[in-house]
Amino acid sequence: MTLNTEHAEPTAAPQGMAVTARTQRQLVTRRFFRHKGALFGLALFLFVFVLAFTSIGFGPLPGWWDKPWTGSGTILDRGRPTLSVIPEFLGGSGIHLGEHPFGQDNLGKDYFALTMRGAQISIIVALAIGLVSTFVGTVIGALAGYFRGWIESALMRLTDVMITIPVLIIGAVVGQIAGNLGPYFLALMLGVITWTSVARLVRGQFLSLREKEFVEAAQAVGTSSRRIIFKHIMPNTLGVIIVSATLAVSSGILLETALSFIGFGVRPPDTSLGQLIQTYRSAMVTRPWLFWWPGIFIIAIALSVNFIGDGLRDAFDPRQNRVRN
Amino acid sequence: MLAFIARRLAISSLVLLAATFIMFVLVALSGDPLADLREQSTPQAQAQMAARIKALRLDVPIPVRYFGWLTDLFRGDLGVDKSGHAVSSQLALATTATLQLVVIATLLGAFIGIMIGVVSALRQYSSFDHGITFAAFVCFSLPVFWVATMLKQYMAIEFNDWLRDPVIPLWVIGLVAVFAGLVWASIYKGRWKGKLTTFAIGFAVTAVVLYALSASHWFADPGLGFPFILVVSLAAAAGASTLVAGWENLQPMYAALASAGVGALLYQPLQPVLSDANLLSILGLALLTIVVSWVLGHTLGGLLRRQAIPLAVFSGLLTGGLIFVDRILQAWHSYTVSVRNRPVATIGSETPNYSGDFWHVSLDSAMHLLLPTLALILIGLAGHSRYSRASMLEVMNQDYVRTARAKGLPERTVIIKHAFRNGMIPITTILALDFAGVFSGAVVTEHVFGWRGLGAMFTKSLKEVDPTPVMGCFLVAGAAIVIWNMVADIAYAYLDPRIRLS
Amino acid sequence: MTTSKQGVHIGRRLSDSKRPGETEILKVENLQVSFPTEDGLVQAVRGVSYTVREREVLGIVGESGSGKSVSSMAVMGLLPKSARISGSIRYRGEDVLTMSERKRRGLRGRKIAMVFQDPMTALNPVHTIGDQLAEAVLAHDLIPRKDALARAKEMLDLVGIPQAEARLRSYPHEFSGGMRQRAMIAMAIINNPDVIIADEPTTALDVTVQAQILEKLLEVKDAVDAAIVLITHDLGVIAGMAHRILVMYAGKPVEIGEVDQVFARPRMPYTVGLLGSIPSATVSGERLQPIKGTPPSLINLPPGCPFSPRCPLADDQCRTAEPPMAETESGTQLAACHHWSKLAEATDPTAFFRTNSETS
Repeated sequence: MTLNTEHAEPTAAPQGMAVTARTQRQLVTRRFFRHKGALFGLALFLFVFVLAFTSIGFGPLPGWWDKPWTGSGTILDRGRPTLSVIPEFLGGSGIHLGEHPFGQDNLGKDYFALTMRGAQISIIVALAIGLVSTFVGTVIGALAGYFRGWIESALMRLTDVMITIPVLIIGAVVGQIAGNLGPYFLALMLGVITWTSVARLVRGQFLSLREKEFVEAAQAVGTSSRRIIFKHIMPNTLGVIIVSATLAVSSGILLETALSFIGFGVRPPDTSLGQLIQTYRSAMVTRPWLFWWPGIFIIAIALSVNFIGDGLRDAFDPRQNRVRN
Repeated sequence: MLAFIARRLAISSLVLLAATFIMFVLVALSGDPLADLREQSTPQAQAQMAARIKALRLDVPIPVRYFGWLTDLFRGDLGVDKSGHAVSSQLALATTATLQLVVIATLLGAFIGIMIGVVSALRQYSSFDHGITFAAFVCFSLPVFWVATMLKQYMAIEFNDWLRDPVIPLWVIGLVAVFAGLVWASIYKGRWKGKLTTFAIGFAVTAVVLYALSASHWFADPGLGFPFILVVSLAAAAGASTLVAGWENLQPMYAALASAGVGALLYQPLQPVLSDANLLSILGLALLTIVVSWVLGHTLGGLLRRQAIPLAVFSGLLTGGLIFVDRILQAWHSYTVSVRNRPVATIGSETPNYSGDFWHVSLDSAMHLLLPTLALILIGLAGHSRYSRASMLEVMNQDYVRTARAKGLPERTVIIKHAFRNGMIPITTILALDFAGVFSGAVVTEHVFGWRGLGAMFTKSLKEVDPTPVMGCFLVAGAAIVIWNMVADIAYAYLDPRIRLS
Repeated sequence: MTTSKQGVHIGRRLSDSKRPGETEILKVENLQVSFPTEDGLVQAVRGVSYTVREREVLGIVGESGSGKSVSSMAVMGLLPKSARISGSIRYRGEDVLTMSERKRRGLRGRKIAMVFQDPMTALNPVHTIGDQLAEAVLAHDLIPRKDALARAKEMLDLVGIPQAEARLRSYPHEFSGGMRQRAMIAMAIINNPDVIIADEPTTALDVTVQAQILEKLLEVKDAVDAAIVLITHDLGVIAGMAHRILVMYAGKPVEIGEVDQVFARPRMPYTVGLLGSIPSATVSGERLQPIKGTPPSLINLPPGCPFSPRCPLADDQCRTAEPPMAETESGTQLAACHHWSKLAEATDPTAFFRTNSETS
């Protein structure tokens, strides 16, 4: 890991040196935008995000899609999707959205609007889980990594205990408690129980950084622990924290959808992608699109976030990618 | 080592204890177990309520309730559910099914994932590596319930339909063969000419095999047969010896071939022994195989005994495994008839009220395990292949690997003895952490496939606000996870002498 | 730039060792190595030539990044596959670069052995010392394992590890740094090699252990009749250890000659600078003369002498044309400098650096 380079001034290049010094942030940005997978992930995520939040609108903001996600309507063509992406010259029916691009359910609800609503909730819940679990995990990991003695052992034992409980099992119990209080509260609670992996990573970083000379130097001149943690060590663990935050988002969406699927996540009248699959699972044979669309959106969101995370990891720690042989 | 295990056992028990406390409090807060009775205004509801309060200790604060539960637990009593039935009897059935699923999925997933990860690390930046990387990302992003539902639809319901007339369409054969050819070519390291040859061979072999299987209606009544077992076991023995020992000194290969050959030749004589087999006799045969192979490896291995013995044992066990599979497939026909020609099961962990000999029962549970295991493996595969790839890449960069090369060791020894052994050390930790994740997956998978295992029991009881069975399920899962972690720790200590000796 | 050599006593000197023979064991000619990277082609080695004779000790000196390690890795065949290598490396007249991989593996560890810089990481932590030593024998000879272990014990005795028999069963983490380096030396000589390449064998060790290791290296060299290529950034190490010295800068040799010649009459300003920056045991009260600046990046080297930005003698000629290796007044000493004669005229060549550092 590069140490404190973020604060380092770019030094004047000596004569004959062809490489100009760049700041850590510039290097990271440059490496990230050179990463094809990361760009693909970013584009896909933005597309899904914008589509979900502009189409049916969000809160008081109106969207451009004219059908609501709550109301039912008359069923056209047995609810088949009208979306077509194959142009006419290839033998398809041309590129158009049609009346119900994702089809309708058995009550005539517009499934595009429903999927968009599910995607909105799932994205918000996933982001919230990622944010909360990263925050809690960072705090616990930093404390356990920086301080020795009872704080460290108490927090590490707590982590051991939490790892013993399968996340879906504790998540289901938490969902049972929090489910009736709406998706946002659920997200908060799920974030509070999924911090272990972030905490372990951050602790590992802190353990190695607290032995470094620049920390010893800061301690020697009497810098307060708080200042050392926030000013000296934290900036160097930023890469690990950001990467694990993205991974927490992608596992967050999988956790929420799985919980909703087994009935302990988002509950009606709210909807989420996992809940849609659970609701329409039995229609797999007669109306397969009711199963396909939410699934595709879950995968798209999780996949794009994973790609972004991979790009960030490579950008922060390019060492992993090189091999001598 | 014993002190290490004992210390580890003590810590694990304390961790499990703390985990049960957290879960107990959360479960107690998750709802009111009396809700269903409060709604009723019948006179007996009052009495039922009083009985339930007493049985579930609802009249005392949660921590006291926990200690009550714990005391009962140490007496071997897991408590009763809302309607007064003992939890332990329900748990016994559920546990077998779920543990079977979880352990098989973890072991298979880890094995396949590590193999893929190692190959993709050794072929870094090849098209195989890129393909695997992409596939791993997709697998990482798959919701397990979605995969399970898909498998149920396409691998079971439609596959069973297809089995009525198991003919593979030509275009499918072509597509699969092209794909197989591409995979082999992408693993091949060298010039495009070699790649092309590899592709051609891979394509041709796959196409011919698939066509033969299709034309002979093999899927309607699958089996292996003696010639197949002989050829495959000898080929596998030769292949493994080539990978591990090379062609310079042939003693290890002779040992492996001998072991495979002896095993295959025993195919006919073994048939009567196998027809009334049970689990014990199968284990006995496996043990016998190991002993005989060991002796073969020891006598034929010469100076290269250390390579020859494991190779011979591997070849022997592989051949034995093939004979086992062959015997189990002999039960296929009568089994499919008895399950109305729908062999790939979609519901439950066994056919209700099914009875038959060892082979039929084994086939029955195998067919029920097939899809849930596949779903869990697919999900776990991604993680294992990524981690082992990263770990191998890290290790291949270490100085001691360079030292091993500088000694003049052949590349395969460098990889197997120096890189792989060290690369596996961090993987054991991941394996331990991942086990809890597989349990999470199992809860969802059981939901999809209608298993009456721990997961189903857990969700049902939780939904009905029935705390004791929920705790029972968690206790079993938590204990399994803790034991697994301990096994992983011991494996870690075995692999890394720095841990062992401190 | 180096650790102090003051107080280090090398008990066994080179003059106590057997004389070098005439047979050329290793001949490297115009070796070039480059690595493609994101930022461009890194020319790590830009034409290195040297010869090692029987029992001779050749010292290769240079800063980190001067290509000294990369060139020896090329000799061993341990460079990554992405490396582009040209030129020739001849072992007893046979070019190893065109050899089959199998034949080359036969040389590696048997005829040409290597001792690495960091003994803490160069041994595999999960195998015993005895296993790792025996393995080096078994890689080349099919003999019973117990004989290989006996040979390993013999070697551990030779490099001065006490209780060798018991130590065979130890793991590397139970050894100190010096012991590990001794084990590495034992591993290098276990097959009676012709050449030992020692890549900064003492850099990672305590000063007190450094001398013991170097002594041991000279001692075992005679035991197996091997030549040594000693790579170091420490001129002090070379002084008592090597017959000849090759100074490298920016991927190229800049001076080569007998150790006594080069130390007494350096003919390349870089060598002068290196000599000026080691403390002397005889003259006290003198200030050390560091070389200002840093070595150039090996991507897109500017034209001219790569040392010119740091050289007190540099003029326009130096900035446009890179000087070739050329004979100086003595036929056995070659230097790559347009102005070597200026150094020959000066009574104290290090004075150039002194004025430079004081005026700037």
